[in-house]
Amino acid sequence: MEKPGGGGVLSAKEAFEKLEKVGEGTYGKVYRAREKATGKIVALKKTRLHEDEEGVPPTTLREVSILRMLSRDPHVVRLMDVKQGQNKEGKTVLYLVFEYMDTDLKKFIRSFRQTGQTVPPQTIKSLMYQLCKGVAFCHGHGILHRDLKPHNLLMDPKTMMLKIADLGLARAFTVPIKKYTHEILTLWYRAPEVLLGATHYSMAVDIWSVGCIFAELVTKQALFPGDSELQQLLHIFRLLGTPNEDVWPGVSKLMNWHEYPQWNPQSLSTAVPSLDELGLDLLSQMLKYEPSKRISAKKAMEHAYFDDLDKRHL
Amino acid sequence: MEFDLEDPLVSLEEEQTFTISELFASESEHVPSPNCLTSTHFRVFCCEAISLILQVQVSCKLDPFVAYLAINYLHRFMSSQEIPQGKPWFLRLVVISCLSLASKMKNTTLSFLVIQKEGCYFKAQSIQRMELLILGALKWRMRSITPFSFLHFFISLAEIKDQSLKQALKSRASEIIFNAQNDIKLLEYKPSTVAATALIFASHELFPQQYSILRASITASEYLDGETLSKCFDLMQDMMRMEAKELMIDTSFLSTETPVSMLERNTKRQRI
Repeated sequence: MEKPGGGGVLSAKEAFEKLEKVGEGTYGKVYRAREKATGKIVALKKTRLHEDEEGVPPTTLREVSILRMLSRDPHVVRLMDVKQGQNKEGKTVLYLVFEYMDTDLKKFIRSFRQTGQTVPPQTIKSLMYQLCKGVAFCHGHGILHRDLKPHNLLMDPKTMMLKIADLGLARAFTVPIKKYTHEILTLWYRAPEVLLGATHYSMAVDIWSVGCIFAELVTKQALFPGDSELQQLLHIFRLLGTPNEDVWPGVSKLMNWHEYPQWNPQSLSTAVPSLDELGLDLLSQMLKYEPSKRISAKKAMEHAYFDDLDKRHL
Repeated sequence: MEFDLEDPLVSLEEEQTFTISELFASESEHVPSPNCLTSTHFRVFCCEAISLILQVQVSCKLDPFVAYLAINYLHRFMSSQEIPQGKPWFLRLVVISCLSLASKMKNTTLSFLVIQKEGCYFKAQSIQRMELLILGALKWRMRSITPFSFLHFFISLAEIKDQSLKQALKSRASEIIFNAQNDIKLLEYKPSTVAATALIFASHELFPQQYSILRASITASEYLDGETLSKCFDLMQDMMRMEAKELMIDTSFLSTETPVSMLERNTKRQRI
């Protein structure tokens, strides 16, 4: 069968020069690559298209369409193109072509920890505003991220621009938690309702993660560094108090609920001592136990903490 | 999240102001490229393909939105391709692939076997290859922005309080949009323009007393060009007249069953 319009389109292998493999997961590999035509550096995420009796898998179709739609926002990593190719066995593979970012927030925070310096307050404010803006954009389109963490927040260190990565199918490249011990880090940013086995997520799960990231930017240490789901919950309860039906109606009916040691809530300033009053207020609204009481990303952008931030270029 | 043709970008009404300008900014990415509209080959091919899609819609009892989305993919794809000559299988393969992609986006179960129960049978591999070809041509932008995406926004401009009135307006406007999908001339106009025009017609039909308010609020929108809206209105008016004539002829046929009446009907149809 002839392919109409097929001439003149470079295959993925011809269009890009792979420079190095930068990631690997259950679903495929991630490469730093150079586009030969423009010299531009990109991130190539390769995934095999499963042979299906009903053609292109619906999940792939829907998720790539979502990524295409979300790529309009400056605070979401841009999916520039989708290329088709064939692997050695002649099977169809897809290459998702993303803009490449030099570093991520995890490396950024670690660099400050190593030098012993604190992250400048205005830098924290700018990064947090961009994060809230990107999350508001996703939520405005009905998209939850569900795995926000410093590693998934890419940065350009020259411009201090921040972008959300690992949405949708792109998230499929994250390795499953059970296979690697170091990936239990994803527990640190997980909302209590998820840890307690809630089956219906809301956008509030991302806001909890944003709050944890906020605190980590200030202190350079994870706010709730649990190494198991139980330990994660206990870390949270020690600071915010063990939840009960008064502060979180319905909590005792969640699937993973047990009897826990009873702690009284501590002031957030004990955990994040150098954050000012307005920042502490915003943080407290992000870390409400009851998901529906947590501040939305859009409302967070309007919080007084950001009033003195120059937003013209964000 | 389910992809909703009425709200391809918005799932929460409270967030709508965040994305309405983006909806207008994005819509030109979801229309056929302009050059094709003068091509006779394009029109003939698309008319035949649309006819096939609508046949499948009836025989498979498809959600009309699935058929509408499939037709959107068809127009966008074929406007970016040369129409191949002497390959009768090509049209069927494109139709099947567009329907398949549309049903997947709408999370409808639609097996290849069901679509193809009439005529030649394509292998799943061939359909997947065509699906990938279409996806590449459309740059995987499958959450199409259509006239349905704009109805809620334009209705909200009129600040109508009565919920049942709003619903009736939306239903009738949607019906007008569905009926209009056969006419390729409408492809000249952006989805937002088609939506605005359909609403103006719907309000005139259903609620003449509200008509002037709605028309004024829609035409005042910063997103619409008055002159273009006027041209689209004229075109749709012609289409509505045609629809009315068809209805009249059918009715007159039912009223008398004499051979003379039937002959008269055929003559009128030919003249049209």
